[in-house]
Amino acid sequence: MQQLIFGLANGSIYALMALSIGMVSSTTGIVNFAYASVVMMGAMVSWWLMVIYQFSYIPALFVAIAVSIVLNIVIYETCVKKLGNLLDNVGWIITLFGASIILDNIARMLFGTEPQAFPYLFGGKMVTFFGANIMLHELMMITIAVVIGVAYQTIIKKTRFGRAVRAVAFRPATSELMGIKSEKIILSCFAMAGAVAAIGGVLIAPITFASYTMTYSIGLKGFAAAVLGGFGNTKGAFIGGFLLGLIEAFISIFVPAGIKDSISFVIMIIVIIFLPGGIMSAKIFNRNWSAAEKV
Amino acid sequence: MLKVENLTIAYGKTEVVHHVSFDVKKGSVVTIAGANGAGKSTILNTIVGLHRPKEGSILYKGEDIARKAPDKLVYKGIRLVPEGRQIFPEHTVEENILLGAYVEKDAKKIRDRMDEMYDRFPRLKERRKQIGGTLSGGEQQMLAIARALMTGPDLLILDEPSLGLAPIIVKDVFKLLTEIKQTGVTIMLVEQMVDNALSISDYAYVLETGNIVFSGTKDEVKNSDDIVKAYLGNV
Ligand SMILES: Nc1ncnc2c1ncn2[C@@H]1O[C@H](COP(=O)(O)OP(=O)(O)OP(=O)(O)O)[C@@H](O)[C@H]1O
Ligand SMILES: [Mg+2]
Repeated sequence: MQQLIFGLANGSIYALMALSIGMVSSTTGIVNFAYASVVMMGAMVSWWLMVIYQFSYIPALFVAIAVSIVLNIVIYETCVKKLGNLLDNVGWIITLFGASIILDNIARMLFGTEPQAFPYLFGGKMVTFFGANIMLHELMMITIAVVIGVAYQTIIKKTRFGRAVRAVAFRPATSELMGIKSEKIILSCFAMAGAVAAIGGVLIAPITFASYTMTYSIGLKGFAAAVLGGFGNTKGAFIGGFLLGLIEAFISIFVPAGIKDSISFVIMIIVIIFLPGGIMSAKIFNRNWSAAEKV
Repeated sequence: MLKVENLTIAYGKTEVVHHVSFDVKKGSVVTIAGANGAGKSTILNTIVGLHRPKEGSILYKGEDIARKAPDKLVYKGIRLVPEGRQIFPEHTVEENILLGAYVEKDAKKIRDRMDEMYDRFPRLKERRKQIGGTLSGGEQQMLAIARALMTGPDLLILDEPSLGLAPIIVKDVFKLLTEIKQTGVTIMLVEQMVDNALSISDYAYVLETGNIVFSGTKDEVKNSDDIVKAYLGNV
């Protein structure tokens, strides 16, 4: 039970990170390689507020969210928008990697290289849950992730904004003809992705410790989850995240901790080879596959 | 209604439309005929703000709208039904129609217009929960037109509305355009073959490689042998 909850808790963060990647790639077709640095920045900024300025957890979280939203908007404005049409250049691969390296180094300078202990929500209170001792924080991780996931899907499916997001994802020029400002929609997606990244970073930091290396230690898991769920598929991102968390938790019972982290990449490679569209592209999920568009 | 003057449009350094001028009078139907690559879509996309002209002016109700953003022009009452219809294939029919009313904030107006569209297009009503990609080509064209009518435009622009449709469906489309015209909407359309378009048009222009080479009324077009050969199949 403990392993199960631990797996789901970590998985919920992988899911949030994959969602952050998915929000951007589903509308723009690009992969925000700098997103993991935003996750890390969210964690570091809130650690700094809590330890240096005695903020409590929740206010620190909200400031971290605000900072990450701003960071992601700056990333969009400087590394993506300036490049013009994303279909005919791949400059964003370089600019976004560059942004990631810059952010990591800023974090290292501001916050030092030592991994820092990070407080748990509710002061690390434990509860008994089906006979197992579970940290309340872990249950909160899962709850918050599920709430965000459901809220996002509802917004995307049911609201005027969500319709516009899907429209821009599919046909940005035609969306403009509807009076939708495609660029504003993309900017909002970057902003939302920043917020989600920060929440993920702040929630997982107590488990991993806060450090500028989170970009790689945690960030890459987000990519693995995104690949597992299918890039740009925000529903798949959730399934991919939870699945990855669970697989990791159970495999770590049998394999030494040192190679646990490589498991996610073995899975990622297997998925890429056999199901390049992610697990959601497997046949059993697509029985009602719709007819192609007629031109 | 619309007065285009000395319009020159380029993609990068390549100029594809050269010093074009034409006029669309309020309440009329104007057709521009032209072969593949003549620059028809380029002109239309520039009018609706998707592309910026190199030179020239586009006067709409007396105001120069060249270089205005597409959403501003939707507010002003200009709507384009793009080439190839460009419906949103993964949105439902109803969502496609709602996207057409994206700039409309008044929920009641949206409902009323939607009911109006469903009255006019019962097929779309039947299929409103179906995703757009499953519609036939003709139904998609109707959807694209319904979507554009959702803001009650004054000027409706259509890029090759007959493209890829069976002759009988094309007849339906043009019958529909006549009805729309009768509600006071000014219509401008472009076509490669103008048989059907001409029958509802008041005035026509012929565009060849970015230059207007002919302009005249429906009868003047029919009296010009060259034009008939090039742009009319069977009159
Ligand atoms: N995005 C673009 N970039 C560069 N050149 C373009 C672009 N779009 C169109 N062109 C060029 O501009 C010219 C006019 O194209 P346009 O699409 O306006 O023609 P058209 O009259 O609409 O043709 P069709 O009947 O085939 O739709 C063509 O030579 C085309 O190659
Ligand atoms: Mg064209």
